[in-house]
Amino acid sequence: MASFTPYAYIQCPCVDSVPGSRSPDGASTPTSHSSPEDDERDFDPRSPRSNYSLYPIEYMLYCEDCHTVRCERCVTEEVVTLYCPSCLFEVGNSSVKTEGNRCTRSCFQCPICIGPLSVQSLESTPAAPEPSLLSADHATATGPAGPWILCCSYCNWNSSEIGVKFDKPQGIFAQLSKLRSGYDNHHSRYTSSGDGDTYPTKRDADGEPGSTKARFASLKSFYQTQMSNENPNSGLGSTMDYGYGSPGALSRIMSLYSGNTLSSAKPKSKPTIMREADTTKEGLFPAKLDDTSVMSGLRSAGYDGTATRAQVNVQVEEGARFATDLWPIPYVLRTKRTKRCPSCRHILSKPEAKVSNTRWRMRLIAGNYIPSITIKPLIPVGAPGGPTTHLLTPVKPVQYLLTFKNPIFETIKVTLATPAVTPGRFASKVTLLCPQFQIGANSDDYNLDEVLKDRDKDPQRKRSDTTGQQVEAGKEWDSGRNWVSVVVEVVPSSIQIEPKPTILKKLGEVDDLGPLREDEDIVEIPIFVHLEWEASADQVTGKDREDKETKEKKELAYWCALGIGRISPE
Amino acid sequence: MSSSNKRQSVLPKVPSGPKAPVNFGSHVTIADSAILTGSHTINISSESVIHPRARLESTYGRITIGRRCIVHERTHVGAPSSDDKRGDFGVLTEDYVVVEVGSIIESGNTTIGEGCHIGPRVTIGKGAKLGKHCTITAKSIIQPGEVVPDYTVVYSNGLRRTDKRGLEILKAKAQARQIEILRRLISSNPAKFKD
Repeated sequence: MASFTPYAYIQCPCVDSVPGSRSPDGASTPTSHSSPEDDERDFDPRSPRSNYSLYPIEYMLYCEDCHTVRCERCVTEEVVTLYCPSCLFEVGNSSVKTEGNRCTRSCFQCPICIGPLSVQSLESTPAAPEPSLLSADHATATGPAGPWILCCSYCNWNSSEIGVKFDKPQGIFAQLSKLRSGYDNHHSRYTSSGDGDTYPTKRDADGEPGSTKARFASLKSFYQTQMSNENPNSGLGSTMDYGYGSPGALSRIMSLYSGNTLSSAKPKSKPTIMREADTTKEGLFPAKLDDTSVMSGLRSAGYDGTATRAQVNVQVEEGARFATDLWPIPYVLRTKRTKRCPSCRHILSKPEAKVSNTRWRMRLIAGNYIPSITIKPLIPVGAPGGPTTHLLTPVKPVQYLLTFKNPIFETIKVTLATPAVTPGRFASKVTLLCPQFQIGANSDDYNLDEVLKDRDKDPQRKRSDTTGQQVEAGKEWDSGRNWVSVVVEVVPSSIQIEPKPTILKKLGEVDDLGPLREDEDIVEIPIFVHLEWEASADQVTGKDREDKETKEKKELAYWCALGIGRISPE
Repeated sequence: MSSSNKRQSVLPKVPSGPKAPVNFGSHVTIADSAILTGSHTINISSESVIHPRARLESTYGRITIGRRCIVHERTHVGAPSSDDKRGDFGVLTEDYVVVEVGSIIESGNTTIGEGCHIGPRVTIGKGAKLGKHCTITAKSIIQPGEVVPDYTVVYSNGLRRTDKRGLEILKAKAQARQIEILRRLISSNPAKFKD
């Protein structure tokens, strides 16, 4: 609690793009509470919706064409590369479509603790290597052999616990899927007795296609044969041969043109009723109503033998109930994505396509385009004459320094606006002492000596300020080459929950006397930032270029939420 | 600055208590900079390895390290517990126990079973009883007086499961080989602690 760090979050303009939106200009009158329509224009950082549009500047991107900030929620994304996070192998788009979004090599996660699994030989490693020299061929001859298992080096799980062993150390995915379908076929733990089962003999004979994939395949083939059996000469029986070449379609067309000679004479045949799948071979999966085996399993394995909810959720196939039903999880593939502006499709960020390369081809970070805001108390905590705690004392004015730092190479004119009181139950008074100022341009070829001189000069100035001089309204507190500090004064309200005086109440207003909600004791100031700068005009194509050397005026406006501090409960 | 100048540690020197009476088995490998303090006996059985800067403290009771154990760096075996009730002995580790870097084993009838693997930065409370071949993964905490059954794996903030690998013999063999190598790497000086 004591270690509250002030924050500045920027609101993404994507909240306005919902139906019934406001124009950005309309938001410049944030304090009007006259009508419910106007209320919508006001920005309340505490409203539940604001949670989804407020971001620190580091998270935001900037579209150079639209001249707006963009958050990660409103950008559109495109997948550049799919890769396995474990082996860092790139996976092609087509193979993802056929194989699914999991690594098909030998990367698996432990079903118990999701740690990475490694392939190990079940046989004991060959006898201790001789201290004498080992020739290369000798080494290969004594390499570990025999059945292989997947081991988790963290929780000591291994695949032999579920009876899975591999013949080769490579291509584990293929081996495992083969094993799995085979295992499910002959896996008769819960269906062992066959008592009360309708098809005991059939199941034993056919083998139960256990995995969902196999069941789906058999169901699909069953219904396809059903449909083609139903009307074998229509040609439309199966969706596969739906074309003009098929005899069914041809006869239909012929009957259309040649009048109702043939079709009317033939009475419309009643559609035959399709048979449903009724054997396991056809894909029927009878519900297991006999739970005795499950219960005996529970009795013998105990609580430790069951799978937890979390473990079941990360399994590839559902339905696991016991720890012995948990299979190694192939790694889910990850993506690298390009981000585009939602309105102009301009690329905002584009990573290198190669998996191992962590660099970006293009990345337009908002921090390079709009001024950053840092907040600190004017008189630091513990300083003489300053506050003694990090908590704000109710009804005692405190002053905070907002420092705006300009990242662009133009001078920016900044206009700030805040409501006089913060929204919410505990309304603190806010006064911006200098709502309008100019920040100097950033430049990369400044003289280092000058900067150092500035710094030497600064401390004296600051000292004289903090000791005697009062903060002056309408003047910036301090400024440097490309930054300006202004003072904001806050009078925190008391966070005692008490009914409002009747005289201040609006008609029909009801007191909210609920207990203090989470983070309601934080003073959060909505602040509207309007930037204006002159940029060299966009170098558009054509002959305009020569005479368009003039500067173009640009502006940008957005809401910010500044978290100042917590109010002490006393 | 000459290269022979040894860099001085910036940390304050560890207050070394009274030299503990020790009892070493045969072929014990104990580094020169291991710290053995306390008033009770410290027994280290044959072929065990004590790494440099491992701290064995017998102030609160006798310490017994079994055969072919490995005690890593910056471990504190026989650490004081919150209550100062003393047990019959301090810490007893059976054979083939590994205590990894930075672990703390509190003193007071604490027993570590055979073949246990205690991961890095683990805390084992006073009077805890670990069964055979347990694995305590990194940064786990075993509460004082807790009894951990044989073959238990403690992982992920205190979850437990049973180890069904059955690799005890294999692990013991591997450990014997590791000790063989460690013996060559760590310059042993048991004589320093003996008198």
